Amino acid sequence: MKTAFLASLIFIVFTAYVVRLVAILPFFHTQTRTEKETRDGGSVVRIQKSSQKPLKIFVFLGSGGHTGEMLRLLQNYKDLLLNESTVYVGYSDQASRQRFVCFMKDFTRCKVQYFEFMKAREVKATFLQSVKTIIGTLIQSFVNVAKIRFAMCGVPHLFLLNGPGTCCIISLWLKLIELVVIFLDASHIVYVESLARINTPSLTGKILYWVVDEFVVQWQELRDDCLPRAKWFGILV
Amino acid sequence: MCIIDIKTIFVTCGATIPFPKLISSVLSDVFCQELIQYGFVRLIIQFGKDYGPAFENLVQEHGGKREYKNIPIEELGCGEAARQYSLMDGKLEVIGFEYSTKVQSIIQNLSNLVISHAGTGSILDSLRLNRPLVVCVNDSLMDNHQQQIADKFVKLGYVWSCAPSVTSLIASLRASQTEKLKPFPVSHNSSFERLLSGVIYS
Repeated sequence: MKTAFLASLIFIVFTAYVVRLVAILPFFHTQTRTEKETRDGGSVVRIQKSSQKPLKIFVFLGSGGHTGEMLRLLQNYKDLLLNESTVYVGYSDQASRQRFVCFMKDFTRCKVQYFEFMKAREVKATFLQSVKTIIGTLIQSFVNVAKIRFAMCGVPHLFLLNGPGTCCIISLWLKLIELVVIFLDASHIVYVESLARINTPSLTGKILYWVVDEFVVQWQELRDDCLPRAKWFGILV
Repeated sequence: MCIIDIKTIFVTCGATIPFPKLISSVLSDVFCQELIQYGFVRLIIQFGKDYGPAFENLVQEHGGKREYKNIPIEELGCGEAARQYSLMDGKLEVIGFEYSTKVQSIIQNLSNLVISHAGTGSILDSLRLNRPLVVCVNDSLMDNHQQQIADKFVKLGYVWSCAPSVTSLIASLRASQTEKLKPFPVSHNSSFERLLSGVIYS
């Protein structure tokens, strides 16, 4: 009798979490959003409608090229993204942080908070080294991600990611937090694949393809050949 | 197109890894001769991390003499670290430095032509400022993205590309002085902006 009770309890909890998982993973609800969006008739309405609450945005700066592309994205869409918003910046090297400080001089009405993340994978690391750093990064990044995630409750927000391995860990924590904290609204994650990726997605891209709300590539052949659910708008950086 | 009083070519290797084959090809007598023939007077080289001593040796091998005059320090964004030489019997001025925080201002205010490694950041720096660009692929890197991106941009007509060799560089230099590139499209895309705001306010 007791085992039957226990088994059914486990079953119920398990089902609840599967339902929750289905609810938070993007590929079950992207379709409905696009329909809603077209009916609403574009972005202008949306921006005005929600203009009372400023945006909170998280960006992750990889290094070198990734940081460069991210800064270009922010610059190009500054009216939407850097309009009196709070910017949470994840970084793992000082050079990127400095570039960002310099970049934000033009956007003094934004609040900026910096969060240091350890690197998930050095470019030339061995397998064992990678495992070590990944575990370290996991623990340290959880604290950061949780802080940022709960700061974004109930306001328009966006996680904008574009490349390095740390983005996988960030997304993983985000989804896990959502899975556990049932009342949380879904985190909005947009991933923009690097311009350097023409024919094959990056490892980060392959993983995040299944996690993020919108996956954007910059070359048509990448969408057509490998990632049919991705969106393509041409070169964005 | 801007009017720059001193016809200048800017060579950039990117911030992280030096690109010795490109630097030695650019500093070769044959290539410098070609530059002078096309009227270039100044050669600015951003050679990358920790390559300073090797750069110094290379310049001296080609008979370069250290000089100390009118370096546009402000616009170079590299502090006091820039070194200046005169090459080819004083017909070509060479300025070299490791790294600059103002690569874009160098491109916009000082350069008529840019030769860069095939990193996307460097490529975009030039194309967004509408400066003619020769992309040089670093074949000693173990990833073929640089080759792919260079091939793609050549195919679209936005850049010329070359290998890090003297003959290949000269061919591209000639192309850059006789042909025109296709204009690079603007990056702002309203569909993408709509997608972003759709996600933000969903």
